[in-house]
Amino acid sequence: MKNIEPANNDIKMIHRMTVIKRVIHWALFLALINNIITGFYIAYPFLMFGKSPIQAYSPSIGVLSTGETYQAFIMAYVRYFHFIGAIVIDVAFFVWLYLAFFSLKEPLYKSFMPFGDKMNEAFRMLKHYFTLKNKPETTRYQDPFNAIIFTFFHVLIFLQMVTGFQMYVSSFTGTSVIGGWWPWFMHFTTDWTLFVFGGLTGVTLAHLFIMWIIMIFIIYHIYTEVWRSVMWKEGDILIPFGGYKYTKNNIEAE
Amino acid sequence: MRNGNKKTRHVTKTNKPSDSNTPPKWDPLRRISDNSAEVLKKVDERLDSLEKEYFKDKGDKDGNMGNILGFHGVSRRDFLKWTAVLTSTLMLPYVFRQRVARAANILTRTPFIWLDMSDCMGNTEAFIRTAHPTPAEIILNYVSVDYMESIMAAAGYQAEARRVETIRKHKGKYILVVEGSIPTGLGGKFLTIGAKGETGLKITKEAARDAGIIIAIGNCASYGGIPAASPNPTSAVPVSSVTHRQVINIPACPANPVNVVGTLVEYILVGKAPDLDNLGRPLWAYGGRLHDNCYRRGHFEAGEFVRRWGDEGAKKQYCLYMMGCKGPFTWNNCTTVEYNQDLSFPMRAGHGCIGCSQPAFWDRMSPFEKPNAEAKIFFPAVESTADGFGLGLFGAAGAGIAAHAIYSGVKRERDKHKEGKGKKEEGKDKKE
Repeated sequence: MKNIEPANNDIKMIHRMTVIKRVIHWALFLALINNIITGFYIAYPFLMFGKSPIQAYSPSIGVLSTGETYQAFIMAYVRYFHFIGAIVIDVAFFVWLYLAFFSLKEPLYKSFMPFGDKMNEAFRMLKHYFTLKNKPETTRYQDPFNAIIFTFFHVLIFLQMVTGFQMYVSSFTGTSVIGGWWPWFMHFTTDWTLFVFGGLTGVTLAHLFIMWIIMIFIIYHIYTEVWRSVMWKEGDILIPFGGYKYTKNNIEAE
Repeated sequence: MRNGNKKTRHVTKTNKPSDSNTPPKWDPLRRISDNSAEVLKKVDERLDSLEKEYFKDKGDKDGNMGNILGFHGVSRRDFLKWTAVLTSTLMLPYVFRQRVARAANILTRTPFIWLDMSDCMGNTEAFIRTAHPTPAEIILNYVSVDYMESIMAAAGYQAEARRVETIRKHKGKYILVVEGSIPTGLGGKFLTIGAKGETGLKITKEAARDAGIIIAIGNCASYGGIPAASPNPTSAVPVSSVTHRQVINIPACPANPVNVVGTLVEYILVGKAPDLDNLGRPLWAYGGRLHDNCYRRGHFEAGEFVRRWGDEGAKKQYCLYMMGCKGPFTWNNCTTVEYNQDLSFPMRAGHGCIGCSQPAFWDRMSPFEKPNAEAKIFFPAVESTADGFGLGLFGAAGAGIAAHAIYSGVKRERDKHKEGKGKKEEGKDKKE
């Protein structure tokens, strides 16, 4: 009963996202935007720095400054920010993985148990998206349909992590300032991507392609939350900001 | 050239890395022993016994190298410089340079079998057709090749007999060099060699069984190369796939003579294969990425790229990443050891690396003159670039979302309209 606003009988507030989850959410958001932009640059360096204007032969390739090579360090900085973003995403991933099982408030695995019922509910949610009828009841846990989507998203993040570390470790020669275990560990955990995607070039292309799927997830996610807020009028869009949403069901209380 | 025992103190005694939990990736003493004096003793013993075996007397031994190199106008001084270079290329301690010279001397008398399987024989050509050969190439020209299709005088049954005899006579001692991949389709019938028409598969298997060491030269022998490129009509496989024995891969197209001679010299010195990476390549040669040792790397970090052949950036030797350089995906020592009489390598010549020392480079590294991001990715029924296919999916998803938004808007309005009409019915539903 803690979650319920006593003054309101019809509309109740439920706590959905803890502070740490909201921090993860926005850290992921910023880091993903950062890594998409810098990643595009690394794959296809569209900006030129320190160039003579002769090289700028197309509108997409601008000249930002003219100068000598030693004055420009753009690719190094872009890769640097890409790595920082990657570390943020990876840490967020592991915290998410931990919280998915051990969160006190809202562990994700609860959205999958019992499995048959929850899959059924997810299917009903999918049906609801198209029929706009029979809205499944939203509880204080993640609804199963979103839980599936978010799990898939984190699988993508995991793939980006292993392919990214495989590309990262390729510049190592077996040593590191933090010890030889670090490149060894990266090889040990990510060398399987070479066999799955076909060499380092294949790993690079997989990294690039999965980025597109993550972008599709982002627009899907924003759209869905806006759609839910508009159609359900339960303030779903407010969850990552305040941590609360409203609900009209009475079952919520438990 | 002899007796380096006095200089033992130059060699560091322990080569253990700071953290003993992880195995050392690279051991300059070749894992012979932890004690450097013992290593030198063992190497010297091995060299002594080999010299006794392959040279008639002292005059033969001491005059051999002078005869060979003098004929090509290489002075003793040039040779000694070269041994120092090879010693450092092999990442051996400095005291080994006399031993490297001795090993090069022994190498010219070591029995060899050089098999040419399905390939263009570009590696052979690279070694024997140099105008101003370096000692590495000269030594390769003078190795005691008992069987090599492209240069041997014998022909027909005679040549076959020579190979069989060498295998029998020098069992466990001869060096087997294989060049070219081995077709296995139709029981190997895609490649038959010699008067008896034996398949390359059979010849390689026979020669590999009793070889002292097996070296696969060139990308074809190492990883299948171009004959094994998709769709691989002859089912060509690398040498390592037809034998159970260890194969040292010296890939690249053609392989660098320095890497070949270095591996052979190390075999003479140590008697076993060097430390190999997970693709079977000697670590001392293939431990570093081209991209990391490239002299154009600074321009990569500065974001300065060649955009078109012959543009301003090309004249200023900017990074060739945008012209499809596959240096970031390729492990080799081209950038430090260099090709063509130690003169140049692809990036110095103004063209990007094509990744010829990586497995399946013909399939995985193409298009050679476009950045990797423009390579095709293959899904069932889809052949497109990663960005092209990704953008297509992104557009489809966007269209789907827009359609759903319109649909739900329209549907809600319609439902509301209906609701107004049939309020009583809904009320009934609610009660139920």
